[in-house]
Amino acid sequence: MVRDFLRSSSFKVLLITVVVLLGLILYTLSAGGSFLASLLGFASSPMQSVTATVTEDVTEFLDLDGLSRDELKQLVDSLLDSNAQLHQQLVDYENIRQENAQLKEQLNITEQRSENQLVAASVIGRDPNDVFYGFSIDKGTLNGVSTGDPVITSRGLVGVVSHAYATTSLVSCLLSEDVSVAAVCVERQESGAVTGSVTLSATGMIRMLYLSGDTQVQPGDVVVTSGAGAAYPKDILIGEVERVEKSENDISHYAVIRPSEDLTDIRDVFVIVDFPGKGEEGAQVDVGTDAQGQEDTE
Amino acid sequence: MRGFNRIVCCLAYILELLVLFTLQETPGLLPAIYGARPVLLLPAVVTIAMLQRERSAMAFGVAGGLLCDFGLSGLLGFHALVMGVVCFFISILVQTAMQVNLLTAVLTGVWAIGLMVFLQWLFLYYFAYSHPVYALTHHYLPKYLYTLLFVPLAYLLNRGLTQAIAPQES
Repeated sequence: MVRDFLRSSSFKVLLITVVVLLGLILYTLSAGGSFLASLLGFASSPMQSVTATVTEDVTEFLDLDGLSRDELKQLVDSLLDSNAQLHQQLVDYENIRQENAQLKEQLNITEQRSENQLVAASVIGRDPNDVFYGFSIDKGTLNGVSTGDPVITSRGLVGVVSHAYATTSLVSCLLSEDVSVAAVCVERQESGAVTGSVTLSATGMIRMLYLSGDTQVQPGDVVVTSGAGAAYPKDILIGEVERVEKSENDISHYAVIRPSEDLTDIRDVFVIVDFPGKGEEGAQVDVGTDAQGQEDTE
Repeated sequence: MRGFNRIVCCLAYILELLVLFTLQETPGLLPAIYGARPVLLLPAVVTIAMLQRERSAMAFGVAGGLLCDFGLSGLLGFHALVMGVVCFFISILVQTAMQVNLLTAVLTGVWAIGLMVFLQWLFLYYFAYSHPVYALTHHYLPKYLYTLLFVPLAYLLNRGLTQAIAPQES
């Protein structure tokens, strides 16, 4: 019976299929994005966009509907307080900005810094097989998005484009071990590499590695991108230090960071397709290369 | 007429796979349990394989696998290979040694989806990332159990689809 099966045409078809699929794996491993993936993106992205939008609208409606009158009042009060604080900070910012401009003029400092070039995108998919909460967006190479582009929201950095197809892109978020971002603690001016870990991803936290044994970083400190390696723009908010712990493997410490954005529930993002200094310093713009760049600078 | 019904049945299955892929990918649609969400394509291809001849079963397995590959990463072919081969042997098993009913569908789902999820963990996680045991117990196991809940639904859906579209074949 086994011999009959091995001689059957079905078994030959199975073998041919296996060989073809192994070839496809090797091809996509070497070539990255492929025509087939772009084709699948063309077929599935319109449906994904529609369902994601409908789900978002329904969820928002249900969320608002679920709040009681007191809860809504409390929410409005807290937002008004926050707004008043931000207004005060804005006044301070304007004063400092003017002072800065005057000082630059007095010292003859000229700066020709262009702005980041952004492409707005919506999250249309979040794969259940991804341990690190990666997601797909509805913009691809046809919109100027390319692999390695940083992805942000209005609150800060959320990830990096890991694969760019024609009309869609896959984004590895900061929770992933594949992503490593050169970062600096604003208050202490200590640098490190921010990356994810599977043990922290469920709680939505990330880690800042390679802090020295006598680090001064404390809970509440703000962490931003350092710009080292030229894979990410400088001074993009990453998050706030939650606690500092000793590394399991060496004498260094790492900081557990609460990201500025809830990385497990992102709806709309911006892709930074170009920024001042992108790709300079000879750095490769690819996922996971920035941490090495940071190590080199140390 | 029989050939026409086969084509309609194939198109219906492909549409089903596309819809399930869209549903499983939609953020916020299916609630997460212990951080895990179900992979709807796995019960779908397993139960389709129980109702089809081996070549068709493998073809639908490959199609579902390619969608899984596309959703997860740029590495096309891994899920297509695993799901295609597993579906091929499920179909052979059903034709030679098993009846098709709800109980056998669930039992087949238990070992087949378990095998697929284990291979996922082994090849896509174990060799690439840290804390593999933690990932297995805290991500892959909840996802496996959550996905199993959809096997009876997928079986009933596909059996109904097959009986409605191609009564001659059943």
